[in-house]
Amino acid sequence: MRQAAIDKLRAWTARRHGPDSLPIRIHRRRVYILPTRFGMMLALMLAAMLIAGLNYNSNLGLAFAFLMASVALVTMNHCNRNLVGLQVDATAEVDAFAGGEANFDFVLRNDSRVERRDVEILCMGALGIRSVGAGSSESVPVAVPMARRGVTRIAQFELRTRYPFGWFHAWTYVQGSLTAYVAPAPRGSRTLPAVGGSGYASRSEARGDEDFAGLRAYEPGVPLKHMAWKVLARGAEAAVRSYTGLAAQPEWLEWSSLEGQDIETRLSQLCLWVLESDAAQRVFGLRVPGKEIAPAAGAAHRFACLRALALFGSEEPH
Amino acid sequence: MNPKTVSYGQLLGISACLALALAAHFETLPGWVLATVAVSGGIRLLLARRGRPAPPRIVRLLIAALGIALLFRQFHTFNGLSAGAALLALMAGLKLLETDTQRDIYVITLIIYFVGLSALLEGDSFWLLAYLIAVCWLTTATLLRLTTTLPIPDWRRSLHYAGKILGQALPIALVFWLLFPRFAAPLWQIPDSGHSAGSGLSDTMSPGDIDQLALSDDVAFRVRFAAATPPQQELYWRGLVMHDFDGHTWRRSYFDSRSVPPLQPQGPAYRYTVSLEPHEHRWVFALDWPSQWDSAGGVLTADYTLVRRDPVSRPIEVHATSYTRMQSPAVLSDSLRKRDTRLPLNRNPRTIQLAHTLRAAHPDDMEYLQAVLALFSQQPFYYTLTPPLLADDSVDGFLFDTKQGFCGHYASAFATLMRAAGIPAHVVAGYYGGTFNRFADYWIVRQSDAHAWTEVWIEGRGWLRIDPTSAIAPSRVEHSAGDAVSADEPLVSRWQRRAPWLADARLRLDALRQMWRERILFFDQDSQQQMLAWLHIPEPDGQKLVLMLAAALAVALCWLTWSVHRETGPVRKEPLVRAYSRLCTKLAAIGIPRLPHEGAEDYALRVAQRRPDIGPAVSELCEDYSSLRYAAAAARTTIREFDAAVRAFRPTAAAKPRRG
Repeated sequence: MRQAAIDKLRAWTARRHGPDSLPIRIHRRRVYILPTRFGMMLALMLAAMLIAGLNYNSNLGLAFAFLMASVALVTMNHCNRNLVGLQVDATAEVDAFAGGEANFDFVLRNDSRVERRDVEILCMGALGIRSVGAGSSESVPVAVPMARRGVTRIAQFELRTRYPFGWFHAWTYVQGSLTAYVAPAPRGSRTLPAVGGSGYASRSEARGDEDFAGLRAYEPGVPLKHMAWKVLARGAEAAVRSYTGLAAQPEWLEWSSLEGQDIETRLSQLCLWVLESDAAQRVFGLRVPGKEIAPAAGAAHRFACLRALALFGSEEPH
Repeated sequence: MNPKTVSYGQLLGISACLALALAAHFETLPGWVLATVAVSGGIRLLLARRGRPAPPRIVRLLIAALGIALLFRQFHTFNGLSAGAALLALMAGLKLLETDTQRDIYVITLIIYFVGLSALLEGDSFWLLAYLIAVCWLTTATLLRLTTTLPIPDWRRSLHYAGKILGQALPIALVFWLLFPRFAAPLWQIPDSGHSAGSGLSDTMSPGDIDQLALSDDVAFRVRFAAATPPQQELYWRGLVMHDFDGHTWRRSYFDSRSVPPLQPQGPAYRYTVSLEPHEHRWVFALDWPSQWDSAGGVLTADYTLVRRDPVSRPIEVHATSYTRMQSPAVLSDSLRKRDTRLPLNRNPRTIQLAHTLRAAHPDDMEYLQAVLALFSQQPFYYTLTPPLLADDSVDGFLFDTKQGFCGHYASAFATLMRAAGIPAHVVAGYYGGTFNRFADYWIVRQSDAHAWTEVWIEGRGWLRIDPTSAIAPSRVEHSAGDAVSADEPLVSRWQRRAPWLADARLRLDALRQMWRERILFFDQDSQQQMLAWLHIPEPDGQKLVLMLAAALAVALCWLTWSVHRETGPVRKEPLVRAYSRLCTKLAAIGIPRLPHEGAEDYALRVAQRRPDIGPAVSELCEDYSSLRYAAAAARTTIREFDAAVRAFRPTAAAKPRRG
């Protein structure tokens, strides 16, 4: 019942305000406010105060009752104000693993003269809370739990506050599109495949000095360990040490090598291999139906592979 | 609300607020209720200190049941102010005991607000209101600290914020208070607030008793005359009439619902308002003799006194009209005549003997009356507030032995002598005169103005007011209170006579107090309609009042929204920065925008390179800006001048062809 009403309201506000392009400034016309349960109790008490004051014909009692009622009215305005004029931004895309959390980073900017206290960000049931001082901005990490692999689009998140006193609950919906690319949970029992007969370089070999093949030009994404710091220290161009074992024999993580298992299990296995290979600082490529990622190494490459796994099966071109 | 458990600090804060709110009830609440609340709070605080939760449910329930049972035994009801306040206090204490989560504390804050209100239903002073608003402020600040999650603001900031909210609430509360319709009668009957002892005049008068009233400086009531003020010697404030005399004590006989024989008013009418201090008796003091009065005055008895249905336990205001001269009806009914000539058998024999002797010499009623008054003035009767104590036959003792007394003695003796001669007479108790407050044009009648006089029935003339005391001590009647006083005179009034400025200061203070009374405490339907009339609203009535309330509230809420939301927009830059950015905008418009990292001087150099024609002007402006910004004391211009110069500066786009 309550949930249905909330869903209706959310849909209505989405229609009313249309999609937002982040960052946005919260306009007062999109801030809604209702009393909380505590606020309802206060309202009951105010009614009792009024009746008592009238019945006893006590002007001082009435003055006190009216003062409290006015305090409630002022508080309503303050609660509403706590959100109005706030600027909201968020990281549009976030990577995560199934069963883990997508760490969205929201940024609240407050360029007004008043502090915004206890602003809550509610995103897919996850909550972040921050106070933003006058003229400053704060980032609010919100860890949204991600149950399933795939692309999760969040079309709407909520900003809300109960400040001050918790009598009122002011909130607004932001129709900013946030995306979480959820890679499969890294799981599996198979060892890394040995592709092309030449075998893969073991960890110890990868670090071995005897495999050192020479220097090549720096490119972003290369593990820091492979940087030729001494060369850099001499003032020459940045260079990277290359190793025979790594550069010469790229390994392929193949969808096809996992015949006979269901899709998610295969993706989980591939994900595990990607992480393992990356941890071992190997050069590897990924091949899944409809997508091939050329062999490479480094963080950017790992992200590309994980995102390919997350996107597997979704229509989205990437 | 999430059920967060409360900390020791939070409990301590809220307990302190509760204690402060209950302090306003300190005099009226039963001691054991206060003790229960204190003990509950203490136990809970001790437990919290050791990090332990509230005591088990069964203990709490037991205490609650016990407390409520005791309460019912004491009051026999939960309706009414004293019982309600006690119940509220008890509930607050028990709630404190069981407080575990923040939600419990929220309930306590609401109870604190309500406790504050209930104190104001009983009390009436400005200071009480101010105190309770302060308590409300503190409670609200505490609540802010309770409901704020992240770094909890310190006390100073919490109080500042709560104060700001209260400040913004005040004008709206004022609008509500002024325009919210008041009811003439309560919504339901309020039970009596209990049997407090009365103060001021009592309904018996024993001449031998020392009248402590005469020494009391307390105010009995205040009177403001609407137009004409009667001469001071006619200010007899009628309270109650005593008919029954047992030889020693005069008693008021209880009002019987006989219809009141009408009086014929003579002379001018006086309209006035009596603001009565609570005295816990049912009678109301009115100028002798009342002819019209409003509902607060109650009904007129056959003795021409005003009696209310309920005791005056709160300050009340009575609007009335009186005539100081009256012609009473021509005939006195037999029952009244009988009642007012009755004397106890075998009491005061010497007095009765004296009356018979005098009566034989003066068969005419009027002559007899004059003879008795002459007796009082010629024989050595003294007026004193500390007369010797008298035995059972008090009139005999006074007339023949001590010959010292005050108004009560003389009234009693005079009425006895009249009755002994067969002339109907009774004693009237009330107040005489008063102090005129020239700073605010009203009369203050104090307990020391208490007075007793008599009324006698003379055939053909009706009831006559005879003040026998005036026959003895004219000073007492002419100057009222203070002058005829003994060494027992209150210290305050002795000081006052030595230092007139002190008396003035006291009168001014009393004028303030009376203004508070009239303007605030007795603000009612009439006052509201007068206010509307003052605003030139034709035919003021309840409906117009509600319309006014709606209109005024709309304005007040608009103001509130504006003032609250004014602060949500981006901060306006300071004027200097605004002027400088205006200069930059103008230069950008001719194709030389300032680079983000560029300081004023570098920018001026670059502009001068590209546009030598405006170079000097720009570098002068930029120099001014730098000195205003970083060396304001040494600047040769003011910000205003700089702003004007920037506004006057109008660079033209590419007057010369640009150089590459």
